Amino acid sequence: MPCKRKLIVSTYYDENELDDEVHLSKGVFGRLLKLLKKYWILVFCGVASIAFVSWLDAYFTMLNKQIIDDAIVTKNVSLMIRLFGNYSLITLVQLAGFFVMMYSVGLLGEKLRYDLRRDLFNHLQKLSLSYFTKTPLGWIMSRVTSDTEKMADLLTWGITDSIWALTNIGFAVYYMLRLNAQLALIVVLSLPIMIFISFKFRVKIYYHFRRSRKANSKMTASLNENITGVRIVKALLREDQNLKNFKVLSTDMFRESYRAGLLSAIYLPTIQTISAISLVLILWRGGNMVGNSLISVGTLQAFISYIMFILWPIQDLARVYAEMQNAVASSERVFSLLETKPEIVDRSEIIPTNSLVGNVEFENVSFHYETDEPVIRNLSFKIPQGQKVALVGTTGGGKTTIVNLLCRFYEPSEGTIRIAGQDYLNYSLEDIQSRIGVVLQIPHLFSGSIRDNLRYGRLDANDEEIEEAARLAGAHEFISKFENGYDSNVGEGGNQLSVGQKQLISIARALLANPNIFIMDEATSSVDTLTEALIQKGMHQLMSGRTSFIIAHRLSTIKSADQIFVIEDGQIAESGNHQELIRKRGLYYNLYTKQFRHDLESRLDPFSPTDAVESPA
Amino acid sequence: MTTDIKNYKDIDISKITGDKKLPALWHLMHGYHLNFIVANLFTGLAALARTGMYLYLGDFIDRVIQSGIKGSNLFVSALSFGALITLQALSSFISSWMATLTAESATRRLRDYLFDHIQHLPFAYHSEAKTGDLLERATSDVDTIRRFFADQSINMGRILMIFIVSFIAIARINLRLALISIIIMPIVLVISMFFFKSLSRAYEAYQEQGAVLSTNLQENLSGVRVVKAFARQDYEIRKFDQENLKKFKLGKKFVWMHSLFWPLTDILCAAQGIGSNYIAAMMVINDAMTLGQFITFHGLLGWLIWPIRNLGRLIIDTSRTFVSLGRITTILKARQEDMTSASCEPSESIRGDIKFENVSFEYEKAQSVLEDVSFECKAGDVVALLGSTGSGKTSLVNLLPRFYDVTAGKILLDGVNLNEYSRQFLRSQIGVVEQEPFLFSCSIRENITYGVHREVSEEEIIAAAKEAAIHDVILEFKNGYDTLVGERGVTLSGGQKQRVAIARTLLINPRILIMDDSTSSVDMETEVQIRSALENLMANRTTFIIAHRIQSIMNADLILVFDQGKIVQKGVHEELLNQPGIYQDIYEIQARIDSALQEEIDRVNIL
Repeated sequence: MPCKRKLIVSTYYDENELDDEVHLSKGVFGRLLKLLKKYWILVFCGVASIAFVSWLDAYFTMLNKQIIDDAIVTKNVSLMIRLFGNYSLITLVQLAGFFVMMYSVGLLGEKLRYDLRRDLFNHLQKLSLSYFTKTPLGWIMSRVTSDTEKMADLLTWGITDSIWALTNIGFAVYYMLRLNAQLALIVVLSLPIMIFISFKFRVKIYYHFRRSRKANSKMTASLNENITGVRIVKALLREDQNLKNFKVLSTDMFRESYRAGLLSAIYLPTIQTISAISLVLILWRGGNMVGNSLISVGTLQAFISYIMFILWPIQDLARVYAEMQNAVASSERVFSLLETKPEIVDRSEIIPTNSLVGNVEFENVSFHYETDEPVIRNLSFKIPQGQKVALVGTTGGGKTTIVNLLCRFYEPSEGTIRIAGQDYLNYSLEDIQSRIGVVLQIPHLFSGSIRDNLRYGRLDANDEEIEEAARLAGAHEFISKFENGYDSNVGEGGNQLSVGQKQLISIARALLANPNIFIMDEATSSVDTLTEALIQKGMHQLMSGRTSFIIAHRLSTIKSADQIFVIEDGQIAESGNHQELIRKRGLYYNLYTKQFRHDLESRLDPFSPTDAVESPA
Repeated sequence: MTTDIKNYKDIDISKITGDKKLPALWHLMHGYHLNFIVANLFTGLAALARTGMYLYLGDFIDRVIQSGIKGSNLFVSALSFGALITLQALSSFISSWMATLTAESATRRLRDYLFDHIQHLPFAYHSEAKTGDLLERATSDVDTIRRFFADQSINMGRILMIFIVSFIAIARINLRLALISIIIMPIVLVISMFFFKSLSRAYEAYQEQGAVLSTNLQENLSGVRVVKAFARQDYEIRKFDQENLKKFKLGKKFVWMHSLFWPLTDILCAAQGIGSNYIAAMMVINDAMTLGQFITFHGLLGWLIWPIRNLGRLIIDTSRTFVSLGRITTILKARQEDMTSASCEPSESIRGDIKFENVSFEYEKAQSVLEDVSFECKAGDVVALLGSTGSGKTSLVNLLPRFYDVTAGKILLDGVNLNEYSRQFLRSQIGVVEQEPFLFSCSIRENITYGVHREVSEEEIIAAAKEAAIHDVILEFKNGYDTLVGERGVTLSGGQKQRVAIARTLLINPRILIMDDSTSSVDMETEVQIRSALENLMANRTTFIIAHRIQSIMNADLILVFDQGKIVQKGVHEELLNQPGIYQDIYEIQARIDSALQEEIDRVNIL
């Protein structure tokens, strides 16, 4: 009976991963099978039940033969009743087996997906920052979302379908040989031809299918761009040209899906026609045999059934074969991600510490990313505990790198960084990073409530402490104006809040963490005066008593610093406090006066856009 | 092969946007109706051939048993059976082929149509619509329709055809047997519809949780610095695990329902099969039926029972098609901008004299954006617009290329009412340089020639880029002008994008120029470069500058100061300087800055 029972559970096809032809290494299959080890019971249940179901699928034909030959032809009613009873019973047993198969394989798939996602995510948490700056976010996302799906599909339905198909073909051949070797030979000879052609077709169909997915994603990208840039499209009268370009893409899409569709349309009828040849031969030879009473009518009928049914397992086998390569390529990518070693790890000997209070010292520190030019050259300075340092200078000078080194997101290529008298490599990463508070230029919030985001600073903080931190940071006022107060949702990435509000929250968050060292990358974007004042106040709170490093853009921040470093080309070009540096009339003087003009201009300009504190939509 | 594609303009929108869904779907196939009909006819033929196959098989067996045929006769009989299978296969092929052709062609046309329709929708539509939503409708909803054409519409016909033909064939053997054999059908149909509905609901919940998981992952990855800075890896792992587990549980539920559905309906179908077979077998024993007829019946019964289960699924899928169609037609119902109709069609470029006469404009009724705006400028003049955000500057310049039309009053261009020109013509005469223009993900060269409706030589491109002070920046990229915008590592700053747009506008050489001159986010050096680029651009064109700072407009021929949609000050620099008002205030800022800076420096020196 032509019933393919499996509803395709996963039809997620990754559109971005079409171009890479991965060379399959042998180790992958071994590693894939290893994933199954943990669930051997489920695997056993699945494999055993599918083999059982598949065997019964082949056996029913034999039972039908028995009914025809032994009961109907001989008019043996009591035997017939017994045979139909058996038939019903076996059907029930098969359905039970089928249920066990569906459930155990389905469950196995979900468990594998869960495991793979968890392992990948956990591994990603260990990787160093450099990995994330080198690897596009979308690439990582596809590994976790779509590759894991494909792997699980291969390990569950891929294997199950193959076993079902192979068992079914095997038993069918076995029964046919038992019934009549001569007729069976006809079928057996046609099998390789049908399998070969099926594989060829399936691979080709899948190839075009994948290309159509790729064409589809290009088409979507083009449409997306046209909608986003519709203003320019209209202003430049590009409609006709863009439609022409789009039509090229939609024609590609048409061509590939049409080819896939056409090949599918040819495929099954071709196989059927080939099987028709064996059927004709069977009917001819078999008919003769029946006429000569060499075989029974039931036997002839059984052969016809086997030939017609065997098309289904062949199709399944071919489909699994065609999709396997891609699924294995997915697995390779996942394994390679899992094998990526974090660049920065704890040293084998760690000095545990619960305080980073003390001086911060850079000694002849140099740093370069991979093999590039050094970004930091031979940098040395010493900051006494509790001082505020402002880092200023043009973009690309190395300010951010200094901060990244300090947080140990990267480690110096040469030289030593000492915190509280110890080479910081001797501390654990966790000890360093949990004692350094960071406020980024573009504050990153997680979707969830304001309270959740604040609590990120200290997970065991109670509501009073959270509120206290928000008060100190100057965030309490705007938060309490929201309808839901601290439980207001910040939206995805905090997009319900203004930049200024996000900054205030990230300051409060850092305050709650109560760090020993405070690092801030000041925002360049302008916020309204009121929020600006609040931010300054919050920063002041954070800096008091803590050694602080500020990549500074605000004049007031710079002026109040104990030390100012002008960073150019990875070195300290000028250092000193505000007065000293102004008197010097050098780089700092120029930077300062330029910034001063700019600030004042935008502050006085009645038309300058401001980022007012507003309530979330 | 007839793969030529009908023009997308063949579709008559009014026939799609009606309330009746099926006629709309029918019309979407316009031009491919014949293919569709052929597909269905051959589906019928395939069903007939298959049924014929079983009938023939029964007959064959009966004759073999009665030793009616032997030798070459037998071979011919066997061959005719093979011929029936081949006919069935061939018909299936033609049917699937035509169905694919219909579905792919019709959806391709629909995609083209939607693309063009969307880009011709007026500004007002785009400012309201969400990109993601439009995209979703133009892609996945269209795909749902494609599946309907390729799959559901044909398969529904196929299943019905197979059912009817098989039923008739069985009924001709024995009517009572035929009727008994379909007792279970309605129950199976209802159950499968019910099941598929809850199955797809469970699947949707599973998919939605997948989206939650993706968002979670994405936030974790993009916030990796925060995670590391607070050493919150363990917390993140726990958080992800919660959502991951939730997805697992939803998956488990889906698997459970799924595993239950098939065996349950299988029991019903199997009971029907076994029961009917039993009755038929008894009939053979009682000589009410031949063995051959029994074999025919046995074969056909499968085709009677099993397709019904899939019918339930098809019905549910079809109801989705209707939803998708509805979502697409809401886009199609929106009116396109009229690009061409005009009562004034100048054969040459315009001069560029512009006059606003009591112009008022509102996006929505009774929400005035511009009120009673009147001014006049000559060809080649520079008009500067000053005012805070929302004061109406942008709305005013949007009126010139007729992105929007005035609500009251009129705008005269070379003495002719703007409405008498076609939008197409106007836009070909007007260049727009936005503050941070949108660049397309093609090469820098293509971005420079984007919208230049003529062949442009390499020399011209380079000359324009030099004039726009962007040439040197472009050469710094490894692939120079062939650098793809948006490629990894290739990011252009706002100012650089603007200069690409300036180079483009120089090549287009429009008579009227609209420019957004807010350079607040650029540092000093580039500001000087942009300024010279802008001066090159403004020469000899009527220019409207949306200005934020006075330096850039001191030489303007007309300065308009806006406040809440009205012109509050009008004149040239010298005039406005001597009038008390916003302009004077702004101007004085510069002087104040200088003295404040001096004061600041002095203070340091005293300390």
